[in-house]
Amino acid sequence: MKSLLKLHTLTFVGLAVAANLGLQVYLAFGEVKPWAQINWMDVIGEGGSGLIWLVWLVMLMRSRPAGRVSRLLAVGMACVCFSWWMDVLDEFIRLAPDAVWDNWLETAPMPVGLLLVTFGIYHLHKEQQAINAQMSKREGLFREHLLFDKLTPLGGAQYLRQHVQLALEQAERAQQPLSLVVLDIDDFSAVNLVHGEAEGDHLLQMLAQLLVLNLRQQDVLCRLAGDRFVVVMPNTGETQARWLAQELQQAVAGFAYKTLRHGERLQLRASVAAAMAYDDDVESLLRRVNLGIAKARRQAPQRGAA
Amino acid sequence: MSGYERDQRFIVGHYQPATLIDLALSRGIDSHRLLRGCEVFYEDLSRGTTRFSQQQFLTLIDNARRLLDADDSAFLFGQRLLPGHYGEASQTLLHARDLYQALEHLCEFHALLSPLLTPRLMLEEHYLHLYWQDACGAGNQAQFLGEACLSAVLAMSRRLVGEHLPWRIQCAWSQPRHIEQYWVYLGEEVRFDAQITLLSLPRQHIHRPLPNAAATPGLVARQACLEQLAALGGGSSFLDLLFDHLHAHIHEPINLDRVAAAFGISPTTFKRKLSKHGTHFQQQLDLVRRHVALYLYQMKGYTNEEVCNYLRFSDTTNFRRSFKRWTGLTPSGLARWFG
Repeated sequence: MKSLLKLHTLTFVGLAVAANLGLQVYLAFGEVKPWAQINWMDVIGEGGSGLIWLVWLVMLMRSRPAGRVSRLLAVGMACVCFSWWMDVLDEFIRLAPDAVWDNWLETAPMPVGLLLVTFGIYHLHKEQQAINAQMSKREGLFREHLLFDKLTPLGGAQYLRQHVQLALEQAERAQQPLSLVVLDIDDFSAVNLVHGEAEGDHLLQMLAQLLVLNLRQQDVLCRLAGDRFVVVMPNTGETQARWLAQELQQAVAGFAYKTLRHGERLQLRASVAAAMAYDDDVESLLRRVNLGIAKARRQAPQRGAA
Repeated sequence: MSGYERDQRFIVGHYQPATLIDLALSRGIDSHRLLRGCEVFYEDLSRGTTRFSQQQFLTLIDNARRLLDADDSAFLFGQRLLPGHYGEASQTLLHARDLYQALEHLCEFHALLSPLLTPRLMLEEHYLHLYWQDACGAGNQAQFLGEACLSAVLAMSRRLVGEHLPWRIQCAWSQPRHIEQYWVYLGEEVRFDAQITLLSLPRQHIHRPLPNAAATPGLVARQACLEQLAALGGGSSFLDLLFDHLHAHIHEPINLDRVAAAFGISPTTFKRKLSKHGTHFQQQLDLVRRHVALYLYQMKGYTNEEVCNYLRFSDTTNFRRSFKRWTGLTPSGLARWFG
């Protein structure tokens, strides 16, 4: 993903202009202190704090699209940065003792900025809840962005392994069954061959959406590898898992996917297999359900996709 | 006879390298970062005049692996490799009479079709075997190249024959964490920790006529490929030729000076060439002996003494020790690795 920094140019330009104006005002009304009178501890403490806030501001803005929450956080953090900056200037430039306005420039932006940041974080939390709701059925008991699949908006094989591990432990504790369903598109390589890899990639992304729509709230979908998807189904026996697997199979068969370039309809078929965990660990369960799909594919040979 | 070497620019840029480059670009990788250190410009590739050396191609592979940072890179790359878009060389595969002829052409024109690992065919009573020889000093890219070659041949056979064939697969490396990629791209019949990376297929499948067979265009394409190989100065790498030479003379007294003389170069030049490919004479000799020993045990059913004599060891104790060093196993503990 490209850096989103350029969406926030206004914030950074504004901060730079304000910092410069502050400097000009101080230089106009104050006198520069001699080196001996400068308290370097204060300079380091205040300057360092300001710098760290600036780093936070840049890091946060790099990852955030524009919008209300971003604006609140950006303006708030910029205020705090400005306040620290004026504090640092104070160490180098002496102002007349009767000047009150410098206090305003130095101190006032701080509480305003902190309030804005607090308000922003509150909304960030709300926003995160909304995103979590969107992520349901794609992410289960934990989040690890390093394990996201690179192609589809799903977890990859390593995410699946860790999730199954946690789900197995949970199922053991709750004395509930746990089932896995595997779905594999028949003859997917023909799609890549006939329509090109970009089409195949796009189809996988669309299939991920389709499968998510056909799952229950508690199920989690991951992409194992290639065109093979795995659903983790907590509190589900083998018979029920088979039913759900068949529903997924029907959903794929009924999926009227149109190619990107010509809008041509692709007729897709999927093989499915289900397995319930008995005394399995993660690897044996995955292996078992994958052997199941190999068997299912042998029983349904030569069903073309393209 | 000398064969092409690691730093000789003979790999056509828009053949195998472009296959990998296109894969990486389709995943949003920046072309400058991808080609860093390759001494090749992306803009030149489309002009069709760029040539890579094995070394440059290996650098490209290293960059691509790092930037793609995904477990399926080797398999996706492999799937695109064969029959590929390599002009006449690909035609010889597409128009082959049967799978066996396609694999024969793959081996014959490996300089054009598989420039880093050299595929070799072996027929026995019930099975056809295909294995690969390092032609470039692959180093730590060996497993990636192995995975790519396996999926390349499987994808090609699937495409030519039109269905899944019961290939059996052995890999010379341990089971990796991304075993699921093997299940999806290579099937469930994969064994690890084998002595040699090997594909095997029951012989009844190899002579089935192929739907796209075309005898005359196939012959013309083959002729054109032979001319291309001649222009390259022969279709084998230095390491291929060395392997063949050692293999042919394995039951004769053999040493570095003799082999250098047979290659028509001085022992110093010979050593320098070997070290350029990240290897040395004893390593290559052991590789061939190991290969011959495994072959004699498994295919010919030789006893310890017979293998020991064939390889000119003075006594069996000495031989057993060497065999242990080559394979990590004693001759008696050698698991069946064919079929």
